[in-house]
Amino acid sequence: MKNKYSIIFLSMLFLFTSACKKDLNQVTSTVIDQMIVNKTWHLDYSIIGTKTQSFVGQTSYSITYFKDGTTKDSDGLSGTYTISNNNNGKYQIQVKGTSVNGNALNFTHIIESVSDITMVQSFILKGQLTKTSLYFSSK
Amino acid sequence: MNIIKISIKKVLMIFLTLGIFSNTSFAQKLSIKEKDRSYLVQPGKDRINKLRKSLAKTFKNFTGNEVSLIGSLNLAKQNINDKGIAAPVNYLYNSVNSNIFKPGFSGGFRLDGIYKEKHLYTFGFAVNRISSGSNYKNKYTQSPFLEEYTHFKADNKFTTLSLAARYKKLLPINDMKQHKFYAVVGPSIDYRISAISNDNLLDGATNRLIVNADIGTEFDNNGYYVLFAHYKLGNNLFRSMAPIELNRFEIGISFKMKDIF
Repeated sequence: MKNKYSIIFLSMLFLFTSACKKDLNQVTSTVIDQMIVNKTWHLDYSIIGTKTQSFVGQTSYSITYFKDGTTKDSDGLSGTYTISNNNNGKYQIQVKGTSVNGNALNFTHIIESVSDITMVQSFILKGQLTKTSLYFSSK
Repeated sequence: MNIIKISIKKVLMIFLTLGIFSNTSFAQKLSIKEKDRSYLVQPGKDRINKLRKSLAKTFKNFTGNEVSLIGSLNLAKQNINDKGIAAPVNYLYNSVNSNIFKPGFSGGFRLDGIYKEKHLYTFGFAVNRISSGSNYKNKYTQSPFLEEYTHFKADNKFTTLSLAARYKKLLPINDMKQHKFYAVVGPSIDYRISAISNDNLLDGATNRLIVNADIGTEFDNNGYYVLFAHYKLGNNLFRSMAPIELNRFEIGISFKMKDIF
């Protein structure tokens, strides 16, 4: 009989400890998406290497991400965006769009950090060694 | 005034008489259905009796068991260390941090008894609705932005099922016959049953099981009710990327089931 109780106890322990696990990359992508969606992100600073350029208080570049997965920016670009893990432990936002002239315009930026009101994206331009960081705010 | 007293007495007498008659008639006469049932083989009932006997045999040293209903008010605060979180997500520190105790509530059962006629014990089972203040240990800044951030946002409202096993020691206060004071100590486990938010799942940080160390005092008023005050210090049972330390104060009351029903 004691064995029976042990089996019941162990089964309960297993049941409680083996919770179903969600895909962590998917979870993080969802949280990032919830933070950036339906907001217009204004470029406040750009940092190339060690050189910081401030756009605070000026009319600068802005981009809006919509809930239906589409995006528009102040330069006239419109298209779609996706957030994913780039398999190097970083999350990236991939934009596939068309410019005002109708030319295809695609880019992928690494999401360095994101909150409800701030976002930092980075990328390295072809032929350059230094990283460009873009500091956006949604205020 | 006298008329009211007399009429109340009369009503009480009528209820008492009816009660006695109804009990006697119920005890003496069995319906045909009940008689039939008593002759039939009842495998379910037999199995329960067998299990009851087996339990009594296994736990023969646990005697004098009394089941009580418990209800309590909880005050909770969690300390969160988000050092292990690598996801690029930030939360504004001032919007998520609240270094205060917040109120919640609990309800459940407890079983009080004596082990080997010497050691007093309590086993408790409860459902807890926890509302908790959140104290984030780390702040991060991101120049040139001025705001302060945390990398993790813990759920501050959740429901748990808890199991507790506590050792009770009678304290030499008062006459120790009618009014008894006890010191209690022991472990308890909380299992989170409420849904977990995505924010809480970042980097697999969430942990449904919390193991607590409980300490407290209890006051037994002549067996009518027990007032208790417990402090619980909880930690994640398994390793987490954002370990949480849950502090709780529990103030409540328990009544014996046999006195209620």
